[in-house]
Amino acid sequence: MTTLTLAKALNEGLRRSMEDDSKVLVMGEDVGKLGGVFRVTDGLQKDFGEDRVIDTPLAESGIIGTAIGLALRGYRPVCEIQFDGFVFPAVNQIITQLAKMPLRSLGALKLPVVVRIPCGGGIGAVEHHSESPEAYFTHTAGLRVVACSNPADGYSMIQEAIRADDPIIFFEPKRRYWDKSEVDLTATGLPLDQARVARPGADITLLAYGPMVKTCLEAAAAAAEDGRDIEVIDLRSLNPLDMGMVAESVKRTGRCVVVHEAPVFTGYGAELAARITEQCFYHLESPVLRVGGFSTPYPPSRLEEYYLPDLDRVLDTVDRAFAY
Amino acid sequence: MTETGATLLHAPRADDDDLARLLLIRHFELALLDLFGRGELNGTTHTCLGQEYVPVALRRLLTEADFVFGNHRGHGHYLARFDDPAGLLAEIMGREGAVCGGVGGSQHILRDRYVSTGVQGESLPVAAGVALHLKRTEPGTLACVFIGDGTWGEGAVYEALNLASLWRLPLLVIVENNGIAQSTPTTRQMAGTVRARAEAFGVRHHGIESSDLSTIRAELAPLVSEVRIEGRPLVAEFATHRLGPHSKGDDTRDPEDVRQARAGDWYRLYGEADPERFARADEAQRAHVDAIVRDVSARPPSRWEP
Ligand SMILES: Cc1ncc(C[n+]2csc(CCOP(=O)(O)OP(=O)(O)O)c2C)c(N)n1
Repeated sequence: MTTLTLAKALNEGLRRSMEDDSKVLVMGEDVGKLGGVFRVTDGLQKDFGEDRVIDTPLAESGIIGTAIGLALRGYRPVCEIQFDGFVFPAVNQIITQLAKMPLRSLGALKLPVVVRIPCGGGIGAVEHHSESPEAYFTHTAGLRVVACSNPADGYSMIQEAIRADDPIIFFEPKRRYWDKSEVDLTATGLPLDQARVARPGADITLLAYGPMVKTCLEAAAAAAEDGRDIEVIDLRSLNPLDMGMVAESVKRTGRCVVVHEAPVFTGYGAELAARITEQCFYHLESPVLRVGGFSTPYPPSRLEEYYLPDLDRVLDTVDRAFAY
Repeated sequence: MTETGATLLHAPRADDDDLARLLLIRHFELALLDLFGRGELNGTTHTCLGQEYVPVALRRLLTEADFVFGNHRGHGHYLARFDDPAGLLAEIMGREGAVCGGVGGSQHILRDRYVSTGVQGESLPVAAGVALHLKRTEPGTLACVFIGDGTWGEGAVYEALNLASLWRLPLLVIVENNGIAQSTPTTRQMAGTVRARAEAFGVRHHGIESSDLSTIRAELAPLVSEVRIEGRPLVAEFATHRLGPHSKGDDTRDPEDVRQARAGDWYRLYGEADPERFARADEAQRAHVDAIVRDVSARPPSRWEP
């Protein structure tokens, strides 16, 4: 076991993937010498050379486009988008080419491209640097969308994502980059499309991913003091969704709250609520409730704490679920 | 472009008003880095240390009726247009009196005909649209947009240049070529030149090496009139230097490169040209900014109301 930050665990995972497979390339803005804004690619250019760790011009559309071309020729590019809000110039390539080409070929054509996106708020940064754009991508057929929440998962999920033959949008919660925990560098983690029970509980199910897993765990710990036994599920993969685990948990607890940083309105939680209603209807004691951001641009740092779901907002919503 | 080093050929000059504005921006940016260092500010900010003279030179070539689009390194763009350091600092610190109620922060300012945005390249087509409207409704006015050299990597830049040339738009593109984008030197992110790229669209290009306000204005004045009167878009490319880090504490440059950038700093050149007057003005602006920092820091938070 080694104690690593999430950023370092991702770095180790990338390193391991590059050692294992010479077809793995890393590309993006300032990923080489600087090692990326969050230092996730720190040292990789030094160790693997400029042909495998490529500093690109400021050109998100071009980055994803060339990654697709490289993937067509057998490479496994891992692209870094510097911040969530800067993925939008690349969205055309992601939706019209990356997601669609493999589907159109009925799977004959593989595009093993990983698009890493530091996501979410909580670091006092401004608009474009704190957004949660996952629903744009989960809405797009042909993309797998995953989010890691802790160092051990960061280490294993990035390797799994690189090994997979599908295009993958890989979200990294930037406010958790500096969180430390134990990582077993020899272990193989869970399959990429499986959710994980982050904390077992009997009374209510909290569904979260990425940055909100920690918030939910803190909420569960606080609620335990009041005698409430909360189960927290870290979804890990948003598309495909591990609905088996979700349904099993909600049927058992009878209540569910979904938590994400993205705006609630037509956010990922809406899909979860709809599915749970369909599949767990007769087991539900209360409607599926959602906690999330508001339908505004991401606010300046001073107002972040009002925007981001926190322990209180999660627990208030849990109370509402029990009040039905 | 002309040969480098032309900046040193003759002593630069600035009248009191220009000098005060140059130094205001310099001390404003230094104060921001200091506030960050002391943990009074957080998030992202990009200072224009070394590049202050670019928007200051332009301010007398632009009128209130012109639109200005600033970018992520935009404090100087704003302060050259509005003598409002307290409003900008309050905006960045989220205090009462903020230009945009503290909602915009460092890189999203909206005031009258000034707009800034932090997403690279995307403001160019928007500026072209404004220019089209100005051409139809307010002939003689223009839209001016600031971008860095790195931003020439973005495709939106070329869509806008094509539109501007095709539709003969009064669009003035100011390129602050500081030789680097974040950690990536221009030579490693740009094939060819800004000039050749502009010219490929039939857009006129003018390169500026000097940091002397009167030289810059003399060179640009006739070209800017053509932008206004003939709807002939112009790309004016300044060879300039970024003295500070990209944001904060993220300078990957060779110390020698930074030293060279410092050697060409307008601040030094103007100081040497007229030491006594410069020292007086410098001290005055330092004190002015200090007072603003004290005033704004003591204000209550700004309120976010539509
Ligand atoms: C679309 C987009 N991608 C990435 C970024 C992150 N970013 C902010 S500034 C910058 C470098 C800009 O370089 P340049 O245009 O040369 O301007 P300079 O910073 O040198 O003034 C980058 C990559 C961004 N703001 N927008």
